[in-house]
Amino acid sequence: MTRRARLIVGVTLALAIAVVVPVGAYLKLGTRIGNRTESLHWREFPIRYFISNVSAPGVTVQQFQSAITAAFGTWHAVENTQTSSTFVGFVQALPFVDDGMSVIGYVSQPGQDRTLAATTFTIDETDGRILESDIYFNTIFPWSTAEAGSTDRYDVQSIALHEIGHLLGLSHSALGETELIGGGRRVIGAESVMFPIAFTRGSIADRTLKADDVAGISDIYGTTTFSREFGSISGRVTKSGRGVQGAHVVAFSPKTGKLVGGFTLTENGEFVIAGLEPGPHILRAEPLDDGDVNSFFDDDFDVDLDFKVTFYDRVVAVPRGGGANNVEIKVTAK
Amino acid sequence: MNAAATDGSLRSSASGRIVVISLLILLCAFATPAQAQSPAPSGAGVWEIGGGGVFVGGYDLGDRTAELTPNTGNTSVSLFTTDNKVLPVFGVQARVGYVVSTALVIEAGFRFTQPVYEVRVTGDFENAPNTTIEENLGDYVFDGSAVWHFTGAAFAGGRAVPFVFGGAGYIRELHDRDALVEDGFEYHAGLGLKWWFNESRRGFGIRGDVGVSIRDGAFDFEDGRRIVPVAGGSLIYRF
Repeated sequence: MTRRARLIVGVTLALAIAVVVPVGAYLKLGTRIGNRTESLHWREFPIRYFISNVSAPGVTVQQFQSAITAAFGTWHAVENTQTSSTFVGFVQALPFVDDGMSVIGYVSQPGQDRTLAATTFTIDETDGRILESDIYFNTIFPWSTAEAGSTDRYDVQSIALHEIGHLLGLSHSALGETELIGGGRRVIGAESVMFPIAFTRGSIADRTLKADDVAGISDIYGTTTFSREFGSISGRVTKSGRGVQGAHVVAFSPKTGKLVGGFTLTENGEFVIAGLEPGPHILRAEPLDDGDVNSFFDDDFDVDLDFKVTFYDRVVAVPRGGGANNVEIKVTAK
Repeated sequence: MNAAATDGSLRSSASGRIVVISLLILLCAFATPAQAQSPAPSGAGVWEIGGGGVFVGGYDLGDRTAELTPNTGNTSVSLFTTDNKVLPVFGVQARVGYVVSTALVIEAGFRFTQPVYEVRVTGDFENAPNTTIEENLGDYVFDGSAVWHFTGAAFAGGRAVPFVFGGAGYIRELHDRDALVEDGFEYHAGLGLKWWFNESRRGFGIRGDVGVSIRDGAFDFEDGRRIVPVAGGSLIYRF
């Protein structure tokens, strides 16, 4: 029997609402089923999506649809994964309505004045299967689909790429650095489309997936080739012998220059970073201090922010098709 | 490792086996007719074995920065920077050679070293202390060489014989014991001196040599070849 539940994950200006449970290696969206946590995922492809027949200043529905389709295509083009989607047509329906259709479109949400866009899900609570997912783009912000971006407007395709990452089951990445400005946060730099805070207006940098995004989507929808050719690192982050929960752990490959992040998701401070290319990696653990903690975790998830940024004291060799295990990153309090 | 690198690694592996097998065949081809001859006191038809130590130079893998895509208004954002190098190392080697003529010896060899891959991490965005971290590698080189002796230039009563050598081999490089295997080719050339303990150039002697080893594949950040110095010293025995 299917039980349906509505979930929302909002994103991308400076605030996010995460009411779902992060699971697994990469920070994926999940839901608790009894004592276990199941990652949200699509089981049937292609994903059929509709576009609301609502335009926004400067963007026609056709331009909007083209940008959305391009963003879907970027995710589907990730090697060694199996996802697909199809645009069904324009509809009068709006996003955020539990109508059995996955609808993407513009909605005015003046009360969400820090949220550029957000994604909702209807899931089967028995197995985490996504039944429907809607995305809205907040029309209180100016939008653009200009090929090179448009100064003072947010790029639809860049934000769509982030939201479709949610639609596919990914949560937020913490691979970015921010600064506090006027009560909010401004991104200094980020290396993941799934970072919860958007680049400033005019930027089209998030039209391209980063290694962290690729690792995340591959972790959910990877093929056997992915499992065979890529590896993982697992271990713990500890402080005075006790696990650190909610630590952000980054694996850097000096050979490829790629960065992939993960989190410690248990009280024992355990983490897994999957989707890594074979070869030496350098591990860095840091507190989750570049975004609101609730951009990443439920309110009831205790996150330890009291430790210094620490590098693991060994280079870790990631095997092909296997895991480098039992890494322990020992951190100290600030 | 990307798909291209993976393919390259596999190609290297297959080709490496071909090189080793080819050299063994070459060795047999030389050996067969020679065995029919009467062994000369110091010449064709005898075997030479040796074992000893080897020094292999390190190499610089360069700087690699963990970069973030900068927001508008920022030029570049570095999470941290790494300076990568493989340190020089001492190891062991063993060789077996067949003396084709007084001048020419064909050898098969094995070399084992455990170099350290060292990473200096600096410039952390959030001011983590600079640190140096390491990984142990295991380098196995299986090679074949041709050694040409300048018997006319021998000195010390004919006991000291200079030589030059060159050859190729297969590198099998293990990360962190055997977590990951990378392989490639190795080409080498150099010169040296053998000092026999008796004038017949049979029995025991010592060998010293210096040269270069050109690595193609195995652990590296870039495609292409890398030249490292090598030097060895062995106790040898000809019989």
